[in-house]
Amino acid sequence: MDNVNVVVVRDLRKTYGGRTVVDGLDLDVGAGEIVGLIGANGAGKTTTVECIQGLRRPDAGTLRVFGLDPVNEGEKLRCLVGSQLQSSALPDRLRVGEALHLFAGRHDDDLLEEFGLADQRRSAFGSLSGGERQRLFLVLALVNRPRLVILDELTQGLDPSARRSVWAAIDQLRVEGTAVLLVTHEIEDAERLCDRVVAMRAGRVLDAGSPAELVDRHGAWATLRFSMPADSPGLVTPERLRRLPGVVEVSRNGGRMTLRGERAAIAHVCAELVSADWVPPDLSVQVPSLEDALVDLLERTRADDVPATDVETIGANR
Amino acid sequence: MTTATGRLVRTELKLMLREPLTLLFVFVFPVVTMLIIGGSFGTKPSGAFDGVNPSHWYVASYLTVVIAATGLIMVPVHLASYRERGVLRRFSAAGFSRWSFAVAEAVTGLVAVAGGAVVLLAVAAPIYGLPPLHDPVAVVTGFSLGAVAFVAIGVLLGSLLPSARSAQAVGLVLFFPSFLLGAGGPPPKVMGSALRSIAGYLPLTRVSDAVRDPWLGIGPATASLVAVAALAVVATVVAARRSAL
Repeated sequence: MDNVNVVVVRDLRKTYGGRTVVDGLDLDVGAGEIVGLIGANGAGKTTTVECIQGLRRPDAGTLRVFGLDPVNEGEKLRCLVGSQLQSSALPDRLRVGEALHLFAGRHDDDLLEEFGLADQRRSAFGSLSGGERQRLFLVLALVNRPRLVILDELTQGLDPSARRSVWAAIDQLRVEGTAVLLVTHEIEDAERLCDRVVAMRAGRVLDAGSPAELVDRHGAWATLRFSMPADSPGLVTPERLRRLPGVVEVSRNGGRMTLRGERAAIAHVCAELVSADWVPPDLSVQVPSLEDALVDLLERTRADDVPATDVETIGANR
Repeated sequence: MTTATGRLVRTELKLMLREPLTLLFVFVFPVVTMLIIGGSFGTKPSGAFDGVNPSHWYVASYLTVVIAATGLIMVPVHLASYRERGVLRRFSAAGFSRWSFAVAEAVTGLVAVAGGAVVLLAVAAPIYGLPPLHDPVAVVTGFSLGAVAFVAIGVLLGSLLPSARSAQAVGLVLFFPSFLLGAGGPPPKVMGSALRSIAGYLPLTRVSDAVRDPWLGIGPATASLVAVAALAVVATVVAARRSAL
């Protein structure tokens, strides 16, 4: 299993001045997989990826990236890994083109063009806007064609158009088989990009899975609302609707029905309505999002409520 | 230079020339103060200046002001600012080898010292004249070891101090007493005994002695040269351990 995993982390622990920041974390990232680390500030996401990059020495645990130890074999590893770090900078007077040459040893006008920085080639880093800096960091992370890309707060400060170009670049990495470890607060990034999302709190993994799996496990019920004449013969009754798979609650208020249930219940309810020849003109469906699910999970679960058995080993899905 | 370390060295040299603090302290300050002080005591040999032309005494002394400005201000401020802003983390994560940044800083510091010295001598030559070198080997050895020692001290300070602002404050506090008592101020023979005694302990005084005395024929300054050599070795070893990425 480990030989197909780009990143293997077991029982990682890191403390700063007696404060535990990462507490027995397990994580795998498979080749070509895009994994998102999500959690509130202080969840230990950045420390985890800094340990994976060899920028911090773990207090305990095992870390392997491409089978190498990031702390002791960091130099062999760094040409395989591209990083976009949180809270880092370049010298203010370094120009964009010079930065690219410094980090890659060559000029890559295509990448600058792709990320809308071609006109800034001679601009100093200190004169760039926040979004331009983020795009430059991404270019520097990708310029050496790494096999693992670690992106910390990828789309922070980007306008919608720049964000879309970043998403397209990550999609392209997926096509090329590059593994991506994404640290983010932006749930939209995770939902849009990630094969797997790992939710963290207080240095531990709370849960992991595809965005759809997390929504199923932690999202609120789907809600359907529609009008239904009370006395029309042949129409479905609340009792019949309540018996449909996945439906957990049916209420009627005058001519207006409200149903709650699993997401699968939406299809069953709609099929039932169509078969009864009733297509409500005002049907509305509210589906829980990954954001709902994660907010619920992260806010509901207090760090000290998490028993050791809840900290599951996250295995690559492929 | 196409290796990563070579690219880093070349980039750091380029950035050094774009840094106003560096240009001011390493290339302008020593020249301006040398012109003022060097012209204040005339050109007649004097006992206070070990029997040599005071202007020549200061031309030789101010060479080490360039060393102090580089080692106590330019290098530590530059390094602390890089660490404070996360530039070092970025270099480290980008795959630059462990020693590449230390090498780049050492080369940049030594090039700054050499450049500052050339500018100083070029300005001094037409105004005060350059004194003949009595013992060129000793002068070059003393100057080189002094430059290595102070660049290493600068790297060490830069790796210990938490921010550019604190590096600037500490650097200035160390620089000005060293400058006034150890190189660019009054000659030791006119100082009171307490000041002369303090000056004797300052590393820059030792470097100045090791450069000026064999240059002007005052003496070999062997003890100072040995002290500077020892300082260069110790500071380089400690700085190298602290400055790896």
